[in-house]
Amino acid sequence: MSNNPFPLPKEKLLEAYTKMKTIREFEERLHIEFAKGDIPGFVHLYAGEEASGTGIMMHLEDKDRIASTHRGHGHCIAKGVEVEGMMAEIYGKVTGSCRGKGGSMHIADLSKGMMGANGILGAGAPLICGAALASKYRGDGGVGITFFGDGASNQGTVLESMNLAAVWNLPVIFVVENNGYAESTSIDYAVAVDSYIDRAAGFGIPGVTVDGTDFFAVYEAAGEIIKRAREGGGPAFLECKMVRFFGHFEGDAQTYRAPGENEDNRANKDCLKIFRSKVTKAGVISDAELKKIDDAVLARIEASVQKAKADPLPTAKDLLTDVYVSY
Amino acid sequence: MSPLVGIVANPVSASDIRRVVANASTLQVTDRANIILRVLSALRACGVENVLMMPEKSGIRRHITRAYERAANLKEDIFPQIHHVRQDITTTVQDTFKATAAMKEAGCKIIIVLGGDGTHRAVVSQCGDIPIAGISTGTNNAFPEHREPTITGLAVGLAAMGRVPDAIAFEGNKRLDIKIGDRAEDIAIVDVAVVTERFVGAKAIWKPENFRELFVTFSDPEVIGMSAIAGLLEPVSRRDPHGLMVALSPPHEAKLRLNVPFAPGIIGAIGIGEVKHMMPGVPVKLDFPAGTIALDGERELAFDQTDDVTITLVKDAFRTVNVSAIMNYASKQGLMKLN
Repeated sequence: MSNNPFPLPKEKLLEAYTKMKTIREFEERLHIEFAKGDIPGFVHLYAGEEASGTGIMMHLEDKDRIASTHRGHGHCIAKGVEVEGMMAEIYGKVTGSCRGKGGSMHIADLSKGMMGANGILGAGAPLICGAALASKYRGDGGVGITFFGDGASNQGTVLESMNLAAVWNLPVIFVVENNGYAESTSIDYAVAVDSYIDRAAGFGIPGVTVDGTDFFAVYEAAGEIIKRAREGGGPAFLECKMVRFFGHFEGDAQTYRAPGENEDNRANKDCLKIFRSKVTKAGVISDAELKKIDDAVLARIEASVQKAKADPLPTAKDLLTDVYVSY
Repeated sequence: MSPLVGIVANPVSASDIRRVVANASTLQVTDRANIILRVLSALRACGVENVLMMPEKSGIRRHITRAYERAANLKEDIFPQIHHVRQDITTTVQDTFKATAAMKEAGCKIIIVLGGDGTHRAVVSQCGDIPIAGISTGTNNAFPEHREPTITGLAVGLAAMGRVPDAIAFEGNKRLDIKIGDRAEDIAIVDVAVVTERFVGAKAIWKPENFRELFVTFSDPEVIGMSAIAGLLEPVSRRDPHGLMVALSPPHEAKLRLNVPFAPGIIGAIGIGEVKHMMPGVPVKLDFPAGTIALDGERELAFDQTDDVTITLVKDAFRTVNVSAIMNYASKQGLMKLN
């Protein structure tokens, strides 16, 4: 009998850990760098939520498309977008994923099926319905995943998209990443239909809730849902209950949190710690192997920051390029 | 003094993967709140004045608060006073554990439970000698009996008010205790299933090809889930002193193949090996190298060759409200007659 009790082979477990660790260190570093004032615009950090994006994206191929949110760095990395291009993009440099014109909230890489982070709440849902319709029309087996937060779940675009996806039986998975706060507003204040699953049920879409701090819970549930969508089983709704380690945006004083909440999240709800504990206790991956990944990730993030800082900004003549597409 | 009745309502039962892999129902929060309102008015009709509820932030409390406001506006005096346990809300099973312990501490006469088998199990792990009354709001619900919650509320109300002798109102139930080595790990109130998956993951079990061993406190051919497997072989009532052990395998490896409703809308084949009675107080050593132990339908404990797992049937382990006996007693004694 194999000593690996998990539903992924060891190399895939290492890949998942590398992705989660890369997201974590990318965000931890941005938390530091943003405070220095060199980064234009806003950043919204995904630290703490890595198991959700990674657990889902481990099932996807480049042909599968995702639409992200303002908190999109983790989705980009999990979907395979290059860290170096992302960092340069966030610094507004011409070497960035979108040549420095998008910034943190508009990182896209269509070659990886990443249709873009999105600064407009709930805007990804209709985009992904279009992408899923294209996949259905082509018959290529692709699926579309739209991520949104508990706040964006109130947007009309999300609700209209759920209706459309149900009516057209589109291969769309609606993922609400429920970290408990819409910006700073607790869901029990701002969401009239308190259960997201209830909302999905209202459109005839099956809904599932998982522990978003457990990579394996997300991975298993997402696997069933994505497989079903690929095979024509239609849309589904996945709620990942999770925590975010930082504020809504960098600079958020987080006065809405309970005393000790951040410390408790870091100590007891850290999806990376949970993952590490499971794979090392099972004897599948050693601490030394994880440490090697940790070191490589830190080095990569350091190099990406240094390169991004050194790279040139776009010039005035770049202003009108890449803005419109000629058909 | 009016007795205190507890209510533990799981706001998120029935939201696991079986919504997708089967066509299992979703019970909306508003429906859960309406069930509680029906129970509350039944309790009040019997004279119960105070109810202690588990707090949650999934909407049940706010729907109930609005209903109380409407009743007050309409001058309808139909509900008991509601109190909520003071505790942090984690939106995990910890909320159920803490609330149940607090209800025990507060002296609740009976605890009403809304949830599936898993929620009932969580309450049973903490309630001690306090009887529970189950209302099904889960997916595979072998434990809570299916009936209109108003009737459950009336039975609880009559029992809590002392209008029915305890010997009629309450009955003992069996439980399965799971030990790994000398450590008491957990309990189950309906079934313990050993499955080949070796990780907990999304928890629910729905792949019969992975089922290997089954232990049940009772088996019923009228339910779905693991208890249905045993129920279709040999029904064992909740009152029988014994339980049942069934060896399972993939269908092609077994002489006997059984068609079983594993989950709502999922009927499939499973291979059946030896079927044996399980006697109370006699530990059964698990003879399977590695896998996961599912308790009342949810994977909870991963084990491997190094773990010495035993399962023991315990009789009279906890008490439940016998709704049927109470309502029949009420009929015979005229307890609901107003003059």
